[in-house]
Amino acid sequence: MTNQNKQMKDVMSQIMAIPAIGPLMALLLASIFFATQTDRFLSGSNLSLVVQQVMVVGTLAIGQTLIILTSGIDLSCGMVMALSSIMMTSLAVDYGVNPFLAIIIGLVISALFGLLNGALVTMIRLPPFIVTLGTYSIAFAVIRIYTTQTITNLPDVMTFFGKTFTIGSTAITYGSVLMVILFLIAWFVLSSTAGGRYLYAVGDNPEAARLAGISTTRLLISVYVISAVLYGIAGLLLTARTGVGDPQAGQNSNLESITAVVLGGTSLFGGRGNIMGTLVGALIVGVFRNGLQLMGVESIYQVLITGILVIVAVSIDQLSHR
Amino acid sequence: MNKTANNPIILEMKGIGKSFPGVIALDGVNLSIREGEVHALLGENGAGKSTLIKILAGAYPKDQGEIIFQGQSVDIKSPYHAQQLGISTIYQEFNLARHLTVPENIFLGHLPQKGLLVDWDTAKARSQEILTRLGVSLQLDVPCDTLSVAEQQLVEIAKALTRETRVLIMDEPSAVLGDKDMEKLFQIVRSLTARGISIIYISHRLSEVFEIADRVTVFKDGRLVGSKDVSDVTMDSLVKMMVGRDLQDIYPKKHAKIGKVLLDIKGLNRPKVLHNISLQVRAGEIVGLAGMRGAGRTELLRAIFGADSYEGTMTLDGKPFNPTSPKDAIDQKVALVTEDRKAEGLLLQQSVKFNTTISGLKEFCTRWIINRQKEVDHVQQMVKKLRIKTPGINNLVVGMSGGNQQKVIIARFLGARVLLLDEPTRGIDVGSKNEIYQVMVDLAEQGLAVLMVSSELPEVLGMSDRVLVMHEGHIAKELSRAEASEESIMKYATGSHLES
Repeated sequence: MTNQNKQMKDVMSQIMAIPAIGPLMALLLASIFFATQTDRFLSGSNLSLVVQQVMVVGTLAIGQTLIILTSGIDLSCGMVMALSSIMMTSLAVDYGVNPFLAIIIGLVISALFGLLNGALVTMIRLPPFIVTLGTYSIAFAVIRIYTTQTITNLPDVMTFFGKTFTIGSTAITYGSVLMVILFLIAWFVLSSTAGGRYLYAVGDNPEAARLAGISTTRLLISVYVISAVLYGIAGLLLTARTGVGDPQAGQNSNLESITAVVLGGTSLFGGRGNIMGTLVGALIVGVFRNGLQLMGVESIYQVLITGILVIVAVSIDQLSHR
Repeated sequence: MNKTANNPIILEMKGIGKSFPGVIALDGVNLSIREGEVHALLGENGAGKSTLIKILAGAYPKDQGEIIFQGQSVDIKSPYHAQQLGISTIYQEFNLARHLTVPENIFLGHLPQKGLLVDWDTAKARSQEILTRLGVSLQLDVPCDTLSVAEQQLVEIAKALTRETRVLIMDEPSAVLGDKDMEKLFQIVRSLTARGISIIYISHRLSEVFEIADRVTVFKDGRLVGSKDVSDVTMDSLVKMMVGRDLQDIYPKKHAKIGKVLLDIKGLNRPKVLHNISLQVRAGEIVGLAGMRGAGRTELLRAIFGADSYEGTMTLDGKPFNPTSPKDAIDQKVALVTEDRKAEGLLLQQSVKFNTTISGLKEFCTRWIINRQKEVDHVQQMVKKLRIKTPGINNLVVGMSGGNQQKVIIARFLGARVLLLDEPTRGIDVGSKNEIYQVMVDLAEQGLAVLMVSSELPEVLGMSDRVLVMHEGHIAKELSRAEASEESIMKYATGSHLES
C-alpha cells in the first residue's frame, strides 16, 4: 500500500469514527437532492416545518432509543403517548383540573406503564417484545373504554408547545425546541454519566454487566420508566400540535419511532448506537416526507420509500460491520 | 490377563493432528481400538481427549493423519457420516429431543414408516426389543424430559443400537450417575462388548478404569503418553502417566509476606453443588483451587462473589461479608475474573476504556458525571502498567488477543482487596500468561488476597502458596506448597483417596 493510500485510509477511518456519520451523510444527500428538485425545500419556514412535523415521533424515539440500547424494544410507546394525551386533556377539559396538574397526572400515568413494562421484563424475565405487545393493547383498550370522543377546547397551557416564535422571518415551534433540548439531555446522560455507561453495558451483555457490578434490574426498570415519561411528554407535544386530545392517535407511532432509531444507526441487538443518530434518523424520515410532498408525490409512495430506506440503511450498517 | 488382547483391530488412528488458533490440540496421535474391548481414555482437562472423540464423531475435521475403520481408510465428514459408518457418540450433554417420547428419540431421524405415515406400532415394538436386550425397562410413551438422567442415558444408548454401531464413544458417562446407576451402566457396557461392540470410554474417575476397561490410553498436552492393558497398570502408575511433565520456567512466584486473614469462609453450602466449604485466604497469599471440571470450583467463586445464592457465613477483614449481588461484592472490593471472558467478562462492543472503568466508574464521577480527563489518565496508566497492547484506549476490545483482553479485565479490578480468578490464563499464549502471573505476584506483594481456580496443574503448583483440592463439591484436601505435587493433587481431585 502506498503512503498516499494509507493517508486516505486514515482520513476515511477518522471520518467514519464520527458518531452517526452515516445517517448524517444520508440526511445531507437527501436534503441536497430535494433542494435541487424544488425551490421551496430550503426555505427557513419549510425546514422549520420539517422539524415541527417530527417533534412528536422524535421525542418518542428518544425513549425508544434508550430501550433499544438495552437490547429491548417498546411497542407500547405510541399508545402510552395517546393515553397520556387523553388523560391530560380530559382531566383539564371534562373535570376542570388545573392544566399543569393534569399534565403531571398524564406523565405519572405514562410512568406507571413504564414501571409495568420494566417490572415484567426484569422480574418475570419476559421478552420486551411480548411485554410491550401486551401493554400496547392494554393502553389502547383503556383509551377506548375511557372515551371515543375527540377532546377539544383545550386550555392554552396545553397548546403552548404548538405555538411559534420568530427568528428573522422564520417561525419556530416551541415544541421543536423542547425536542432538541430533550435530545441534548439524553445525549449528555448517555455519553457523560455513569448511568449512561451502565445502559450500554447492560445492552451489550447483561450477564457480563451484572458481574461487573451493575444493578441490571434497577437500571432496566429506570430506563423503562424514563422512556415512558418521554412518551408522556410526546403526548403533550402531540396535543399541542393538533390542538385536541385524540383517542385515535399513536397507533403506528411504535413503528415510526423504531424506524427513526434504526435509520439513526442504533443496533437492534443493543449496546451500540448514538442518540443523536436517532434525531438524524427522525429528520431523514421528515425530510423525505416533506420533500416528496413538495414534489407532488402521493403520500402512499412516501410510505413506500420510507420502507425502502429502512432496509437500505440497515443493510449498509450490516455490511459495514462485517 | 486381557481377554480382548487377541481381538482384531476395528479402528485405527494414525498420526492424527488438530490445531485451533494458538493451540495444538492433538499432535501425532496413534491409537487403535480392538473389537469388543472397553478402551478408557484418560487425561487432564484440555489434554486432547475431547478433540479426538469429536474427530471420530465427525464434529471436527482432522488436520493431519489417517483413520482406518474396518480395514478401510475413511474420511469422516459429518456426525451423520460417522453414524452411517457405525461410530456413535454419547456426549455428556445428551442430544435428546426433550419433548418427544422415548421411541421418537430412539428412532430420531429414521422412524419406521408405513407409506407416508409413521409406523408407531413397529417403532414401539422395536424400542421395547432394544431396551429388553439391554436388560432394562422404560415407560415408552412419556416425553424424555420426564425421565431420570440415568434413563435418558439409556435412551441415548438405545439410539446408538438402532444403527449398526460398531464403536460406541461414551464421554464421561458416569459423571451424571449415582452409584446404583453406575452398576447398571457397567452391566450394559459388558453386554455390548459381549456382542462385539467396542466402547471408547472417557472418564475422570480412575477407579472406573479398573472396574470396566480392558485397555487404557493416557493423553497429555495433545499427545498420547501411552496405551496399556489395564492388568499392567496401577492407580499410581496411571497418575504418573497423567501428570509427569516438566514444569516450565514461567512462574515468577516469589514468597510474599503473608498477613492477616482477609477472607474467611465458614460452612458455605449451595444445594447439590457446594458442601460445607470452609477456607481462609490471607493478605499477600495466592491460594490455588484445584479439581476436576464440575467439582464446584467455579460455583464456589461465584457464591463468594454474590453471583449465585448460598448459605453460610463469610467475613472480610473481620467484618461480616454477605454479598447478595456482584455489586455488593465489588462495593466491598471483592472481584471475580470469570473463566469465560467473552460471555461473562467483556463488553465486546465497547472500548478498552469503557471496559476498564465500568466497575469503578464512581471513582471518576462527581455526582454521576464522569470526569473524562481523570478516566483517560487512569486507563492510560493501566495500559502502561499491564502492557496492554492496543492502538488506543478508544479501540474496541473485540479484536484484541485473549491475553490482552484478560489484562483489560484484570485492569478493571486492580483496586480489589480480594481477587477471585477463574482459569485466569485459559486460551492465552505463554508470553501473556507469564505477564499475568507477574501481575498476580505484584498484587499479592501489595497485600491482596488471591483465590485462583485452575485446571492446569503446573499453574496451580507454580503460583500457589497453598492448594485446596475440590472433589464433588467438597474441599477434599488442603496441601501446603511443599506438600502439593501433581500426584497428590490428582489423587484428591479424582477421588481416588476415597477408594483406597
